[in-house]
Amino acid sequence: MKKKLVVLFVLALLAFVGLGVRLILITKNNGEEYEKQVLSQQRYDSTTLPFRRGEILDSKGTILAYSEKVYNVILDAKLLLRDEKFLEPTITALVREFGLNSGEIRQYLADHPTSQYYILAKKLPYDDIKHFQDMITPGMDDYDSNIQGIWFESNYIRKYPNGSLACDLIGFTTGDNNGTYGLEEYYNDTLSGSAGREYGYLDEDSNLERTTIPATDGDSIVTTIDGNLQNIVEKHLKEFNDTYANNVRAGNACNNVGCIMMDVNTGEVLAMGSYPTFDLNNPRDPSCLIGMPAVDEKGNKLKGDSVFDSGVYITEELLESFSDEQLYQNYNALWKNFCISDTYEPGSVAKPFTVATGLESGSITGDEVYNCGGNLEVGGWKIKCHNTYGDGAVSVERGIEISCNVAMMHVAQATGVSTFTKFQKDFGFGLKTNIDLAGEARTEGLTYNAANMTPTDLAVNSFGQGFNVDMIEAITGFCSLINGGYVYEPHVVKKIVSSSGTTIKSIEPRVLRQVISSSTSDKIIQYCNKVVSGENGTGKTARPAGYMIGGKTGTAQTLPRGNRQYVVSFMGYAPADDPEIAIYVVVDRPNAQFQDDAKFATRIVRAVLTEALPYLNYPMTEPLSDKEKAELEELREKMVTSAVVEEETEQAEGEEAEEEAVEGASEEETQAQSEDSSSIWESFDVDASTGYYIDPNTGNLIDPNSGHAFGGDDLPDFDGSQAPEESSEGEAAEGGNQ
Amino acid sequence: MGLTAIIRKNREESYIDYSLIFIILFLLAFGLIMLYSTSSYEAGLDFGDSAYYFKHQLFPTLLGLVAMMIMSYIPYRILARLAMPIYIVAAVMLLMIIPFGKTINGAKRWIYIMGISIQPAEIAKVAAIVFTATIIIKLNRSLVTGKGFVAAALFPAILAVMVYGITRNLSSAIIIMGITVIMLFVSTPGYKRYIIAAVAVLSLAAALVLIIANSEQTSGMNYRFERVLAWLDPTAHASGKGFQTLQALYAIGSGGVFGKGLGESMQKMGFIPEAQNDMIFSIICEELGLFGAIAVMLMFLLMIWRLMIIANNAPDMFGALLVVGVMAHITIQVVLNIAVVTNTIPNTGITLPFISYGGSAVIIQLAEMGITLNVARNIGKD
Repeated sequence: MKKKLVVLFVLALLAFVGLGVRLILITKNNGEEYEKQVLSQQRYDSTTLPFRRGEILDSKGTILAYSEKVYNVILDAKLLLRDEKFLEPTITALVREFGLNSGEIRQYLADHPTSQYYILAKKLPYDDIKHFQDMITPGMDDYDSNIQGIWFESNYIRKYPNGSLACDLIGFTTGDNNGTYGLEEYYNDTLSGSAGREYGYLDEDSNLERTTIPATDGDSIVTTIDGNLQNIVEKHLKEFNDTYANNVRAGNACNNVGCIMMDVNTGEVLAMGSYPTFDLNNPRDPSCLIGMPAVDEKGNKLKGDSVFDSGVYITEELLESFSDEQLYQNYNALWKNFCISDTYEPGSVAKPFTVATGLESGSITGDEVYNCGGNLEVGGWKIKCHNTYGDGAVSVERGIEISCNVAMMHVAQATGVSTFTKFQKDFGFGLKTNIDLAGEARTEGLTYNAANMTPTDLAVNSFGQGFNVDMIEAITGFCSLINGGYVYEPHVVKKIVSSSGTTIKSIEPRVLRQVISSSTSDKIIQYCNKVVSGENGTGKTARPAGYMIGGKTGTAQTLPRGNRQYVVSFMGYAPADDPEIAIYVVVDRPNAQFQDDAKFATRIVRAVLTEALPYLNYPMTEPLSDKEKAELEELREKMVTSAVVEEETEQAEGEEAEEEAVEGASEEETQAQSEDSSSIWESFDVDASTGYYIDPNTGNLIDPNSGHAFGGDDLPDFDGSQAPEESSEGEAAEGGNQ
Repeated sequence: MGLTAIIRKNREESYIDYSLIFIILFLLAFGLIMLYSTSSYEAGLDFGDSAYYFKHQLFPTLLGLVAMMIMSYIPYRILARLAMPIYIVAAVMLLMIIPFGKTINGAKRWIYIMGISIQPAEIAKVAAIVFTATIIIKLNRSLVTGKGFVAAALFPAILAVMVYGITRNLSSAIIIMGITVIMLFVSTPGYKRYIIAAVAVLSLAAALVLIIANSEQTSGMNYRFERVLAWLDPTAHASGKGFQTLQALYAIGSGGVFGKGLGESMQKMGFIPEAQNDMIFSIICEELGLFGAIAVMLMFLLMIWRLMIIANNAPDMFGALLVVGVMAHITIQVVLNIAVVTNTIPNTGITLPFISYGGSAVIIQLAEMGITLNVARNIGKD
């Protein structure tokens, strides 16, 4: 037996020696090859760990945009197919938890049994995956060890809890967390954190090291926007659209309408809205395009058949016929921010600037009285006043109040080209405001300089024609007129906060320059107050119930002259005696037979301020008429019930009725007025339907308040070589492409 | 003579094989270190606790040491009387797998008793050792007759068939039969029949391999056939059965002479599936190189040598047979395990004693060591 044991031991020894030799052979023969193999199958490729994009908050801390963690469900087929028994429980759980199609999963497993990465479901919120997560986490009550080969990949998606609120201002993000338009684009670097990384590398001994660098979350931005004001503004812009949409042409109430509210003394934008809007959570919703003027590949609006057409409006049929490219062009038109990216001729809102220039440069004293004969001949052109019959003796103040072109031309002539153009630049015309939003238009080249401005250019510039501005530029300049002369850099963001909540940067109001003295500023306020409070003021309809405001209306012709297309606007401020809030509404080509009526804009201003001023806690200074009381009462009721959708139509109707009432009131005033003043047009026949006078020579209707002839074209048509193109269209391309 | 004197006499005369104990403790400690090194990455990923496998191995190891100490004090001769009960317990536990078995990694090999998972196949190995030793003593002279030889081999064969039939665990069945055959080989004179049997088995295996290798791969093929094909050409089956083997070879090959250093294995990071079980030797090769691997093999060889010495000096035939059974068990498992890892034979699930992850195995192996220590203790006594 002992012998046999020794034999056994020798056999074992031989086996060990044999195996040892085999080990040595493997190492010797295949060592290098296998070592390379081992290194080559290591995953050096790094995994990106997503960062959380910063939030966008309004000035009161309301969240306008945030990022939510979502999960992709990943299938590792190889892991799942390790064992038959995993298959059924896993597929059953997937179908039950995520509503996936079991047939598709089986098909995929059959086709790709070795696949290790397949996305079964995308972007599920945590609540949806929570239960499944429990089922695959050892130690949880629902843990099922037979569910295999499923894991979750986390990512963030951008959410906009208020949908379309301030859509143009905020902008949105593309799938890869890149901001497009508005704040998302301008503050992309701030909002973006840096993605973390998990990666492998070989150290000097060819050992694989794995390192994880955690993601850094992006910073949040606190805007100057007041969500409630923004809401009020957008509500009334929409109401305006509902009132005038499909009025005389199929389409929206106008080509564009925008409204900016700004803090006069800081340059902070309180609200900035335009119509049409879109849902930021779903920016590619073609239904938002319907009613918009269609644009071409450069972003210019398509021209209608007739020169009198305001554009080609998108209908469902047109939408169907769009190529992908055309659709995208029109989305760009929808997404861009009208308030900063479209330029247009401002019209009469430029008149306070002209007067301020005259006063500040000492060219006029403010006590001048000009004679308006209905037109003024400059450089061989007979440039008409909007009241072609002449306003007679017009003081500087009255020139603003009734918006007399002739008076302004006299002021500008007194000022001279070099001073006029210098002040234009000082007010910011032709310069970017550097507002912290993406897509601001460049207006350089859309204004004149001293070298190329002819007397005719000077004359038309004095009342806001012949040069282009964008809204933010105009209201920024206007604020300097009424705040003592300080041009502030407009801004939308006031604070940058880190993800942990500490303030990284406070953005303080920044004075760029003082353009006019405070005494000039006081005079401008005095004049602009007259526009609203004066008997013949053009902006009376802008006054909200219970308050006094000041401002200036604008009715600008567009190119080509004589196309009966107008951009009407109102630029105002409140309170009248000590301006704190500025508001600017621009309506581009209203959907009406006679577009040249600033009341399209003043009504919006009135509606917005009627709600906004009480909200901002301004005390009422003016006595309320019974009608205004009833109106406020009605408004209060609406604010209580406005959450119900059905109410909205009623609301719109109510608004219409209200507008009619306002018009009725102004008519009454007119009649009272017409008794003590007498103008040529008052001898004309009265149009029964509108209450306007009819010019027997031209057939144009004449506004009984101002003597302004609707549809009357009174500007020389420039050849375009010298004068800048009317470019709410030309610039749209730039804005859209940014 | 007082009682104390008897005890002192006993103590003085009892032989303790310190070198074997040292080897056992060394392998256990080394095994735990390697187990932690091998499994920490996967355990951290799967359980969030890199010491998960380590902790689950440490407790059975301590339990096994206790079992070893107890067994080393229980006179081994009692086992002769317990042979039948042990055999029945092993058989019953195997049968219990059918209704109560727990499936892990697709194999139904475990049963739970009071929250502890037990692999009955391991108990069957002990049962085979004890039972074969007992029956050889019982048959004594008649063992040389063909009838007696078959009778001695029959009972362990039943266990082996049960192990294979119930748990589909071919390797355990082979080990049980191997232990029995070796014990019979040692206790009977002559080589002829063993050589014939060995040649027969080898040629049968070779014939099978040839048949499998030359047959078209059909869908009806048993998974063991696939393993044979993967053994012949692991690269061709790299995505299937050959994956584990191939990755183990990569690990061995990339280790070089002195290895990458303890804990520096790359292959343990998800490439070798279940590296802490059958394939732990490949990680030893990768981290400690040829040097470490051969050192481990030398430790096992020393252990086998010590077992041989104990068996040769055992006070009686029964004790010697028990030690031979343990020796056979350890030898077969070590040789087969390393052979699998080096792709010398087709892949079967055989673990490396004292080092691979597995609670039942380490307890049983230590208990067997306890028996041999008890046999050693009686060396020099009559």
